Amino acid sequence: MNTLDLNRRRMLGAMLAGGGAAMLPNVAAARGMVTAAIYPGSWEEAFRSIVSPALQKAHNVELAMQPLFAVDQIAKAKAARGAPAFDVFVLDPGPRITGINDKLFDKIDAKKMPNAAKVPQGLVDEWGVAVAAQFVGIGYNPKRVATPPKRWSDLFKEPYVSRLGLTGFQTTFGTVSIIEMAKEFGGSETDVEPFFVELKKVLPKIPAISAPAAMPGLFQQGQFDLMYTNTQTVGTLKARGVDIEFAKPETGVVAFFTTMHLARGADAENAYKYLDTVISKPVQEQLMKPPYFLAPVNRDVQLDGSLPLKSLDEMDRFVRHDWSKINPLRAGWIERFNREVAR
Amino acid sequence: MTSVLPGRASRAAGISQWLRPAEWQLALPMLAAFVAFFATPLLLLAAVSVFDDTQITQAGFAMWRKFLGDPFYWKVTFDTLKLGLMTVAATVLIGYPLALVYLSAGPRLQRLLLFIIVMPLLLSVVVRTFAWIVILGHEGVINYTLLSLGLVPAPLRLLHTEFGLVLSLTQIEMPLMLLPLISVMHRIDPNLRDAAAALGASKWRTLFTVILPLSLPGLVAGCLLVFASSTTAFISQQIIGGNRLVYLPLLIWQQSLVVYNWPLASVAALTLLVSVTAVIVVISALGRRGSRHLHVA
Repeated sequence: MNTLDLNRRRMLGAMLAGGGAAMLPNVAAARGMVTAAIYPGSWEEAFRSIVSPALQKAHNVELAMQPLFAVDQIAKAKAARGAPAFDVFVLDPGPRITGINDKLFDKIDAKKMPNAAKVPQGLVDEWGVAVAAQFVGIGYNPKRVATPPKRWSDLFKEPYVSRLGLTGFQTTFGTVSIIEMAKEFGGSETDVEPFFVELKKVLPKIPAISAPAAMPGLFQQGQFDLMYTNTQTVGTLKARGVDIEFAKPETGVVAFFTTMHLARGADAENAYKYLDTVISKPVQEQLMKPPYFLAPVNRDVQLDGSLPLKSLDEMDRFVRHDWSKINPLRAGWIERFNREVAR
Repeated sequence: MTSVLPGRASRAAGISQWLRPAEWQLALPMLAAFVAFFATPLLLLAAVSVFDDTQITQAGFAMWRKFLGDPFYWKVTFDTLKLGLMTVAATVLIGYPLALVYLSAGPRLQRLLLFIIVMPLLLSVVVRTFAWIVILGHEGVINYTLLSLGLVPAPLRLLHTEFGLVLSLTQIEMPLMLLPLISVMHRIDPNLRDAAAALGASKWRTLFTVILPLSLPGLVAGCLLVFASSTTAFISQQIIGGNRLVYLPLLIWQQSLVVYNWPLASVAALTLLVSVTAVIVVISALGRRGSRHLHVA
């Protein structure tokens, strides 16, 4: 045996021991754990700094997060064939319907969440609970747009159309905005053809048709001065010194809810504690504040000036959509949008 | 002179020769990894493409018929390949002279140039892509400079145009062209250039008859890498190109992650794979033919 052999044997032995130790089951800590999907960006930051410590303090449960957009969560869960890598989904209305139809969720029992009683009726059901509201309207630069548009149809007229940024049906806020524009020209929740007709007339004038993720950056760069967007984006940009205000369309602000759901086969006990913490008053209050601007769903929270309503009861006047009707049509709309706008 | 080994030693040598792996057996681990992580998923992709419904229950070729029978999808495929070819042309036009500068620079300058060439690779492609929004935007660096110098009356439309996209992809993909090119050009014997000069060849003639043929393998490798990378550069195409420039990666993403039509997404993905591979095969063949024509060993 030469020195090289001894060193090699020692190294191999150490690797084996290390690998074997890593394969041993972790000694269970006294506290529990829940793995939750979360939207990347400000949602993830907000939950890391607010929800995670609150969950630890109240229930001694550790929060592990997986940053994934709603559509990615559904895709991952479908590909995993009933064994998803997380316990809790966070979804927009469209993916929520897909998840229900594809049997990706376990039913929830609202009685296991004491704070569910504080959430308005209709926002808790057997499939999940709303954790934040999103309000969609028109964002505009007040320094370059002297008079904000009053209606969705104004966006197709001067001086607005040549300063408008558009995005397609890939996101919830994009889809609902286009539906509202279509309604102005005789369309409906299930018929957006009038939108395409009007779009064709003004297409050469529109400065940018972009991916949804790029919209805030392009607005900040002055590529366009008007866009349909949600209050959270407006609040975030404003906090960074960008000139932007939120205009409420005359037909009403669009409201939709971000909901959380139990993944099929999830560890329910810790997941319920997590859900209850997210909708609790102290957490919802902090999530509403800068720099996160997440609109709350807990009725006990006093709403601040960043939101287009003074109390959650006003949401009855906001525009809502039936995504069970929209979902089957969305694939066709996306294809149609590609064909209409492609150069 | 052969030596005759004693009995036990010769048996040990025979056994160890039998145990020593043949060359092909050494490649078995890599082959296993290739089969498990590349070939099998590819076969699964092909299998998913031959279903008619999004729930993947009914076999059929409806998605293939839908894709191949639609002129819009042909246009998208052609535009994707065109983008790759334009980016290759731009990186060759700018990258080749840069490589020549590197070749003629001293060792210190070469180290500095190499660092500058590699630096973009150290940054995330997302960061580089968003930086191009700042450069190409209405109020971006280029427009600001042109307007300040009075060269244009109004900001140029650079973002969300094919020109802007090719420009940004040229910078983003440049390391993939320069690194193979420099690696091959570095091995060219400098005496060959001196010999050409001594025999009366001008610098241009030396470039086209000596340096270019010898650097062809590096050039071809760079072209292949840039083409494959730029045709599949989803983030750059989306952010800098915008939604009016529709390419295959966007279609694949929409169909797989937004509408969950995995059969159609598989068809689009396989079309991208086959069409990009076809162009790569053509570029390689042209490279080999060029080498033979230029009498390069």
